[in-house]
Amino acid sequence: MKKWGELALGVVTSIGGFLEVGSIATSAQGGAEFGYQLAWVLLLGTLSLAMLMEMTGRLAAVSKRTYADLLRERFGYRFFVLPLVAVFVVSLLVLASEIGGVAIALQMATGVAFRWWAIPIALLGWLLLWRGNFSIVEQGTAMLGLVAISFAVGALVLHPTWPTLGRALLPSLPSHDRARYWYIAISILGASISPYLYLFYSAGAIEDEWTIEHLSVNRVTAVFGNVFGGGLAIAALVTAALVFAPREIKVDRYEQIALLLATPLGRAGFVFFVMTLFITCFGATLEIVLAMAYLLAQGFGWNWSENLKPGKDARFSTSYTVLLLLAALPIVLGMDPLSLTNISMVVTAASLPVTVIPLFVLMNDGDLLDTHVNGWPSNLALVVIALISIVLLVAALPLQLLGGG
Amino acid sequence: MLQSAGARATHVRLVLVPLLVAAGCGSPPPLDKQLETLESWTATMQLAKERHGAGAITVTYVTQLRDGADEAFQQASTSIGSSARTRADSAYAAAALDSLRNAIRQLEAEIGS
Repeated sequence: MKKWGELALGVVTSIGGFLEVGSIATSAQGGAEFGYQLAWVLLLGTLSLAMLMEMTGRLAAVSKRTYADLLRERFGYRFFVLPLVAVFVVSLLVLASEIGGVAIALQMATGVAFRWWAIPIALLGWLLLWRGNFSIVEQGTAMLGLVAISFAVGALVLHPTWPTLGRALLPSLPSHDRARYWYIAISILGASISPYLYLFYSAGAIEDEWTIEHLSVNRVTAVFGNVFGGGLAIAALVTAALVFAPREIKVDRYEQIALLLATPLGRAGFVFFVMTLFITCFGATLEIVLAMAYLLAQGFGWNWSENLKPGKDARFSTSYTVLLLLAALPIVLGMDPLSLTNISMVVTAASLPVTVIPLFVLMNDGDLLDTHVNGWPSNLALVVIALISIVLLVAALPLQLLGGG
Repeated sequence: MLQSAGARATHVRLVLVPLLVAAGCGSPPPLDKQLETLESWTATMQLAKERHGAGAITVTYVTQLRDGADEAFQQASTSIGSSARTRADSAYAAAALDSLRNAIRQLEAEIGS
């Protein structure tokens, strides 16, 4: 019974945690400019993330060490600096974007400019981390994040053309504006497969004291949670395809996106959108800053756990305190949250190889995983994800320049 | 030999494209992009007016959308002239600016500001 509870909670956590500032923005931009056509990229991103989370979760449950720990132990400190710096820089950008997302939600609700909200949001986040524990961060925000289901309701109310949507789940080439198409595709992948997601998941498995007994929970959580979560992102894209594309509205500012739900669902839709943006971005803010603090603590061998009192892991607690304030700065300075989001999603996509490729080695290490090493289907999937990550690394900068708009 | 010439051309393109794009960053966006932006904001204003009329969105939020459209209008007003190279281009630009200005006014009338 306890296991079923954990399973349900895990799936709900993944659903509620999937949507955030990047996936909402990039799905809306994709739907507005290319209709359903980019749905296949969301599907690809969702499946890739599900695979990566399943593997890092299995790695943590069996080896009792996080992915970051193993990166340092197996590849040495010199190598570890590379993913450490790459993930750190990328996550800081994404963290700033998430704070921007929360700030925009508050601006929409109150009319007070977003830049004034950045520091209060950072302080609220810090207070929750300082006083709360891992369950509050993981489950509290994720449960509230279920409000994102309003995107699915909005899409259904608009009556999408199912056969066209079904066809869009298969890769296709754009009929116009190729650079922009691939730029948005890369942004969607960056939003879907952020390294912080699987680093946080791996650390969460240790925080929740997973063992081999949890492997089935891990599999179901990673697959179903992400597939449902990805479904919500596809619903956001469908809504944009049906509300914005026929009117030729492009998403230039975050504020425009609230019209997506206000059109099919009226006032309730507007309120749900603001709540979704606030809750999902705030949840992601907590997850990212924790993932970064975990990475630092695991990399340098400090004490770490969100379940410990801050005095027991002072360097870990200091890290998330400083990082939250640092990430709030671009928003305080008035940087446009949508531009910041787009840049950070593309940079995220470019950073993937440094965390994806080493995973292949670890997942085939019999000393670590014994009989739970990857089978050939998982290895094949990981090779495909690694190849995609290399393509993203090479293509990210040129597409940012050519299609960034 | 042919291959090395091809490879050289590719290298030249790899160096030149980012440089040209970077150089282009200082100049205004092409006219068609600016027209698209103006039309997009005009449609946004019309949708916002319709949704506000239906009671779906608040005045506070509509005002933010109006400010966004206003900013896009101001930016286009200063840059679109230099992007329009022919008389026909200038006419298109003026019409797009007019449409957005009217849409903003209609939205303002709707919310009574």
